[in-house]
Amino acid sequence: MSRLWRRNRHWVTPALFLLPGLILFGTVILAASIETVWISLHDWDGIGAKTWVGLANYIELADDPQFYVSLKNNVIWLLIFMLAPPIGLALALIVNQQIRGMRILKSLFFVPLVLATVTVGVVFGWVYDPNFGLLQLLFGAFGGTAPALLSDETFVTFAVAAAGLWPQIAFCMILFLAGLNSLNDDLIAAGRVDGARGWRMLRHVVLPQLSQVGFIAIAVTVIGALRSFDMIAVMTSGGPYGSCTVLAYQMYQESIFSYRFGYGAAIATVLFVIMIVFIAWYLNGLIKAERSNA
Amino acid sequence: MYPRPIPEDARIQRALYLGGVALVVILWLLPLLAVMLTSIRSNEELMAGNYWGWPQKFSLIENYKAVFEQTAMLRFFLNSLLITIPSVIGVLILSTLTGFVLSRYPFRGSNLIFALFVGGNFLPAQIMMIPVRDLMVRLGLYDTVYALIIFHIAFQTGFATLFMRNFIAALPGELFQAARAEGASPFQTLRHVVVPLVRPALAALAILTFTFVWNDYFWAIVLTQSDAVKPVTAGLNNLRGEWTSAWNIVSAATIFVALPPVVMFFMMQKHFVAGLTMGAVKG
Amino acid sequence: MSSVELRKVDKHYAGYHALKTVDLKIEKGEFVVMVGPSGCGKSTLLKTIAGLETINSGQIVINGRDVTREEPGDRGIAMVFQSYALYPHMTVAENMGFGLRMANRPKAEIDAAVKRAAQILRLEEQLGKRPKQLSGGQRQRVAIGRAITRSPEVFLFDEPLSNLDAALRTQMRVELSGLHTQLGSTMIYVTHDQVEAMTMADRIVILNKGRIEQIGSPLELYANPANIFVAGFLGAPRMNFIEAKAVSVDASGVSVAAAGLPALSLGGIDVTGLSAGDAVTIGIRPEGLRVVEAGDGVMPVFSSQVRLVEQLGRDTVLYVDASPLQTTNSDSGTGNFTLQLNKVSTVAVGATLRAGFETGDAYLFGPDGRTLTPRKPVAST
Ligand SMILES: Nc1ncnc2c1ncn2[C@@H]1O[C@H](COP(=O)(O)OP(=O)(O)O)[C@@H](O)[C@H]1O
Ligand SMILES: [Mg+2]
Repeated sequence: MSRLWRRNRHWVTPALFLLPGLILFGTVILAASIETVWISLHDWDGIGAKTWVGLANYIELADDPQFYVSLKNNVIWLLIFMLAPPIGLALALIVNQQIRGMRILKSLFFVPLVLATVTVGVVFGWVYDPNFGLLQLLFGAFGGTAPALLSDETFVTFAVAAAGLWPQIAFCMILFLAGLNSLNDDLIAAGRVDGARGWRMLRHVVLPQLSQVGFIAIAVTVIGALRSFDMIAVMTSGGPYGSCTVLAYQMYQESIFSYRFGYGAAIATVLFVIMIVFIAWYLNGLIKAERSNA
Repeated sequence: MYPRPIPEDARIQRALYLGGVALVVILWLLPLLAVMLTSIRSNEELMAGNYWGWPQKFSLIENYKAVFEQTAMLRFFLNSLLITIPSVIGVLILSTLTGFVLSRYPFRGSNLIFALFVGGNFLPAQIMMIPVRDLMVRLGLYDTVYALIIFHIAFQTGFATLFMRNFIAALPGELFQAARAEGASPFQTLRHVVVPLVRPALAALAILTFTFVWNDYFWAIVLTQSDAVKPVTAGLNNLRGEWTSAWNIVSAATIFVALPPVVMFFMMQKHFVAGLTMGAVKG
Repeated sequence: MSSVELRKVDKHYAGYHALKTVDLKIEKGEFVVMVGPSGCGKSTLLKTIAGLETINSGQIVINGRDVTREEPGDRGIAMVFQSYALYPHMTVAENMGFGLRMANRPKAEIDAAVKRAAQILRLEEQLGKRPKQLSGGQRQRVAIGRAITRSPEVFLFDEPLSNLDAALRTQMRVELSGLHTQLGSTMIYVTHDQVEAMTMADRIVILNKGRIEQIGSPLELYANPANIFVAGFLGAPRMNFIEAKAVSVDASGVSVAAAGLPALSLGGIDVTGLSAGDAVTIGIRPEGLRVVEAGDGVMPVFSSQVRLVEQLGRDTVLYVDASPLQTTNSDSGTGNFTLQLNKVSTVAVGATLRAGFETGDAYLFGPDGRTLTPRKPVAST
C-alpha cells in the first residue's frame, strides 16, 4: 500500500490539488454559463417548472425594440471606451518621470481604479447633477445651464459610459506605465543617436515596443465595455424609459424584475456569443505573444 | 527612459513639471474631491446652496457619526468584511494549488484547463447569473454571506489561477527537480518550496482580490436581499435612495465605502500595480 | 553487482528521439563522466537515471534493484544541478538537511549529517547564511553538500562546474576528485567539457545524438577512438582530418591517396567492407605532426604557410594554411591545420614550413566513420 502510494503520489496528489479549484470554477462559472443557453430555450419564472419553448425567446428577441436599444448602447459603450487606451497612454507619457514626489502623484492617478463602481456612480451622479453638479459649475461659469444628462434620452448613455471611462483610463495608464518602464533602453539610446526625438521617437521606436501592452489594454477595455452593468444600475437603472440599457442590464431586468428567466437567459446567451468571440481573439493574441517570447 | 528624463539640475523645470502634474491630478480627482468636501459640509450649508464654496463649518465628525448611528452602514461594512476576508483566503489557497499543478505537472489537457480558467474569468457576470442564483436558492444559501463567498471564490479563482500559474512557471525549474530528487512529495514541495517562494505573488493577489470582491455590486444585489447580509456597495446604493437630499451623509458613506480598498492600495501599491500588470509586459 | 545499469533505454520527447537504445553498466565506486556536444542528451540520460524523466522503454537498475518505476527519492540517488538549485529561503544548513527533513528523520541525525557534510566541504562557517550571501564556489559546495547528507549510493552531477570561472573550476575539479576518493561512492558526472572528462573520469562515456559512441578509460579513448566522432571530440587542439581515397585494398594493407600528400601505405587495417575507390579520412593529432627539414624522405610531408603562432609556455601551437590538403572538420572551420610542438618555437607568422608525420601516428577512418587503423598502445600512467 505504502509502496503503491509512493509510486503514484507524484500524480495523484497534483490531481487532488487541482480538483477543488477546477470543480468550483467548472460548476459555478463554466457550467452555469452553459446552463444559461439551456434555460434560454425555456419559459421559466425562476421558481416553478420550466416549459420547453425552443427558439421562441430568440424569435421574440428579434422583434424586441428594447433589444436593439441595448445592442446600440453596447456599441456606444465600446466606442467611448476606446478612448481609454489613448488617453491612458497620454497620461502615462506625461507622468513617466522619476522625480521625488512623482510616485505619490502617480498613485493618485490610479485611485479611480480601486473605487467600487457604485462609488464611481455616486461620484458622477454629483458631477452630472443639473442643479449643483460640477458640470453645472462649468456651464455656469460661461453663463449657461448644464443639460440634465441623466434624464436625457439622447445623452444618457454617453454620460454613463463617460463615467465608466474614468477608472478604465486609470487601468490603461497603469498598463502603459509598466510598458514604458520595460522599454529597451538601448533602442531608445540608439534612436537618440540616430537623431529621432519627440513624436518620431514615439512613433518609430517607443510604440512598436508597446504593441503587446497596447493589445492587452485594448482587449481588457473591450471586455470591460461589454461587461458594463453596475454604473447603469446605480446611475439610471436603465432609464429614462429604458433608453440606456445594455444587454447585461436588460437581461437583469427581464429576469429579476419581470420574472422572465428564459427570456433573460436568451439575452445573456447573445451576450455570451459576443463575448466568446472577443475572448477567443484575446486568448489567441496572448498565446501568439507567449510563443514569440519563448 | 522615454520621455527623456528632466535633468537633475534643471530645478525650475522640475518644479514647473511637478506643479503641472499636480494640477492635472487635482482635475483628474476633482469629482472625488468634491464628494470628500461635501462629506464634511453641514446640512444647513447644503440647504443654503453652498455646494462648492469653502465650508463655513466643518461637520466631519457629525456627518460620519450620523452614518454610523443613523444608517446601517456599519452593519454593511461588517458584512463586507465577513464576505471579503474568507473569499480572499479561499482564492489564495485554491489558486496556489491550481497554479502549482498547471505550471509544474504538465499533462494532456492541462493547457485546455488553463485556457478555461483564463477565458471564464472574462465572462460577464450576467451570463451565469440565472443558474448561479438558482443554485444558491436550491442550496439554501440565497441571502447568506456564504452564497457570495462561494461565488467570489469560484469566479476569482479564474484570474488568480492565471496569476499564480505564471508566477510559479517563472521560478527556476531545477528547484522543483531538486526537491523531487531529494524525495520531497508533491505536498512537501508545495509546503516547503512553493509557499515560501510565492509570498510576494500572494501579497499582490490578496490586494487585487480584496479590491475586486469588496467592490462587487452586481452579485451583492443578485444573491442577497436583507440588510443583515448586504455588503457596503449594495448598502450604499440603498442609502442613496433613502437619504436623497442629505448629500453630506451620502458623501460621507461613499468615502467610508471607498476607504478600505484605497487604504489597502496605498499600503500595498507596489504589489497592486505588479499584480495588475503581470503578463501585460514582456519579461 | 554493478551499481547502475541501463538496459535498452529509449526516451522520446514529443516527436524527438532523445535517447536511442542506451545500454550502460557502471560499477560500484566508479567515477563515470558522460561527455558530448550540447543537446546530445546528457542531461536527459542523467534525469532518466534520477527518475526525473520517465523512459519509453527499457530498464534502469540501481544496486540490483529495478527502479524503472520508482520515484527519484526512492532510488538512492542524489543530484547536483548546473544552477545549484539552492532554495533561496533556506539557510545553508536547511538546504543541506532538506532531503533528510523530507524523510522525517530525527533532528539529531539531520544535524549530524549536515555537520559532517559541512566539515568535508569546509562550510562550517557558512551554515547560518542564505545562498544569496555566498560566493559561486561556496554555493556549488552547498549543492554538493546537500547531496552528501543523504548518503546516496549514486551521485549524479549535471555540469556542476559550468557556472564557475576558470580558476575556480580547476580547483573544484580537484576537490571533486578528492571527494570521490574520500566517499568511495559511485559518481556519474555530465559535462560538455572534455578537459573535465579526461581529468576526472575512471571511464568516459561519449554521447552523440542520443547514442553512446564509445565507453572507456580516458587514455584508451584518446589513443583508440572507435570512430571519427570520438577522435574529433577528445583532444585539444582537435585532431586534423584529411579527405582521402582508398587506392588499393588487400589483406596486407591499404594504399591511400590524398591531394597534396604523397601516397600512404598503411598496414594492419581492418578491411572488412572497404573496397578500392572508397572515400576515407586520414586523422592526425596536432602533437603527431612535426616540422621537418628537407630530405627527411620517409614521412608524408607537405609545405604550408604559418598563419598563427600560439605560445603556451612550454608548447607551441602552430596554425598553418591547410589549403594544399583537402581537410574536413578542421578546428573551427578555418581551413587551418594544427601542429602542437612540445618546445618553444621561433617560427614566425608568414613563414613557410614543411610539416610531416609518422605513418604509425595516423588514423584511418572508413566511409562510415569507423576507425580502421589497428590499436595503438595506450600511454601508461
Ligand atoms: N522537455 C523536453 N521536451 C522536448 N525536448 C527536449 C526536452 N528536454 C530536452 N529536449 C531535447 O532533447 C535533446 C537533449 O537534451 P539534453 O539532454 O538537455 O541535452 P544536453 O546534452 O545538452 O544536456 C535536445 O535536443 C533538447 O532539445
Ligand atoms: Mg544539459
